[in-house]
Amino acid sequence: MTLLSIRDLKLTFRLWSGPVEVLHGISLAIGKGERVALVGESGSGKSVTARIILGLLQEQRNARISGTVEFEGRDLARLSARERMSMRGRAMSMIFQDPTSSLNPVYRIGPQFREVLDRGSPGISAAEARARAAQMLAEVSIREPDRVLDSYPFQLSGGMNQRVMIAMALANRPALLLADEPGTALDVTVQAQTLDLMRGLVADHGTAVLFISHNLGVVREFADRTYVIYRGRIVESGPTAAVFGDPRHAYTRALMAAQPRLTGGGLPDIPERDPAFDAPAIHHAAGGAA
Amino acid sequence: MRRALHILAANPLTLTGAVLVLLVVLAALLADVVAPYPEHAGAVVDFLNFNKPPSAEHLFGTDLVGRDLFSRVLFAYRISLLLGVVVLVISVPVGVTLGLMAGYLGGRREYVLMRITDVFLSIPPLVLAMSIMGVLPPTLLNGMLAVTAMWWPWYTRLVYNIVRGEKVEGYVLAAEIIGASKWHIMFREILPNCVPAVVTKITLDFGFVILIVSSLSFLGLGVQPPTPDLGSMVAEGARYLPDSWWLAVFPGLAILVAVFGFNLVGDGLRDILGAEQ
Repeated sequence: MTLLSIRDLKLTFRLWSGPVEVLHGISLAIGKGERVALVGESGSGKSVTARIILGLLQEQRNARISGTVEFEGRDLARLSARERMSMRGRAMSMIFQDPTSSLNPVYRIGPQFREVLDRGSPGISAAEARARAAQMLAEVSIREPDRVLDSYPFQLSGGMNQRVMIAMALANRPALLLADEPGTALDVTVQAQTLDLMRGLVADHGTAVLFISHNLGVVREFADRTYVIYRGRIVESGPTAAVFGDPRHAYTRALMAAQPRLTGGGLPDIPERDPAFDAPAIHHAAGGAA
Repeated sequence: MRRALHILAANPLTLTGAVLVLLVVLAALLADVVAPYPEHAGAVVDFLNFNKPPSAEHLFGTDLVGRDLFSRVLFAYRISLLLGVVVLVISVPVGVTLGLMAGYLGGRREYVLMRITDVFLSIPPLVLAMSIMGVLPPTLLNGMLAVTAMWWPWYTRLVYNIVRGEKVEGYVLAAEIIGASKWHIMFREILPNCVPAVVTKITLDFGFVILIVSSLSFLGLGVQPPTPDLGSMVAEGARYLPDSWWLAVFPGLAILVAVFGFNLVGDGLRDILGAEQ
């Protein structure tokens, strides 16, 4: 069952200096409860794709979007700005690189959590919101939910804030969670712990995840299927094991080769452009996945 | 709160400022009680005692029609503070709202709002107020309007610049993504982060508003006699310098005390609230 389906998505920004095409026809699908990774280097178009799925770029005047983005069978382009807004924070939510800056520094965690819950169940009482928040925080292995709810974001560690963000993102039981390089701002062990936690939670809740990252190691462990994106084009896709085990596109190979290894040895430079990178996309036959 | 008191105690200048401001505010509020000759605030003449130097009976001396200057200075504070409050109560919300809109909404609205603001900011403040006062009859209300008209753009600019910085913070994007409305993001998410800078500026501006109103009165465009006003008292007294020095010096010192006090408090608040603007 397909939850999100993107077909031939193109994005152009109209700038003073003329139009710039950022996405050149991306197709991507995520099934219910599936964990899908979108891998590519900075500037390849990962984050704008997420913003289109959330319906945020559609409201930007200088952005031209063509192709279809269907979420739960509804074409986002046909929805009004209001309908798109009502989907955000309920049917889909997102977590970011830097958890601490994602929380407003002037409010305690408690009230911020309540606002998130209020999106899902409007008019929720303060006491009920607090109880639900504490329960959600317990699910992300926070031992003293009350202390955390009474703290300001800057009083908590980055790992703690990351868990709070995950708890908030899943609080309204969204069907789709967009994770934009989650935890890149954290140290590696904390990042690994929170990813483990997140994997467990999304499995419990049946939430589908679009995991946006340039960290191949993390993607390999986390995702069921992987899309490799290069300069606004999908160059390779398929089950994670197939893409990683048998990378066939020149760009995917270059990306894999650029991973630091424990055994040492220098990193090869990925050239900015290479004719081989513009070769047609390769789709691994799905062993079970769509 | 305890931290604020601690910083206050460790910073003698801020404490001095707070004491001066408190004195000025008390003088204004209690002018009826404290002033030795409360009736001298109005159109009273006492030619037996005209133009007397300071004495035990008349601390600041008397003016050209025999009114007690000390009493008049106290009542003048009342007018100055009232003006300051009214001007800021109108111009701060207007300026802050426009700044939030220009900074957050962006696009055409940003362009139009900020260019209007720039036009206001490009005219020297006193000239703008003077030209408004030149067209309108010189009443207290019009004086307030004139000063208000020149004051809001500073807040628009201040808040606009803060919002431009805050807008790219993760919490704004996070709020957009959970589907918060534009108004919610502007007033509930971003505005609280502008408060330290705005509060600091309000305190500093209080002194400046008093100064500007005094300048207008000095030029004969502000508060009209017989209502006591520090600026017009200085203007009138300046003609009799240096012989009747008290006529200009005491109202002048009164302006200094108020402006100085508010500025010291503003500087202190900046440290306490940690604002960088």
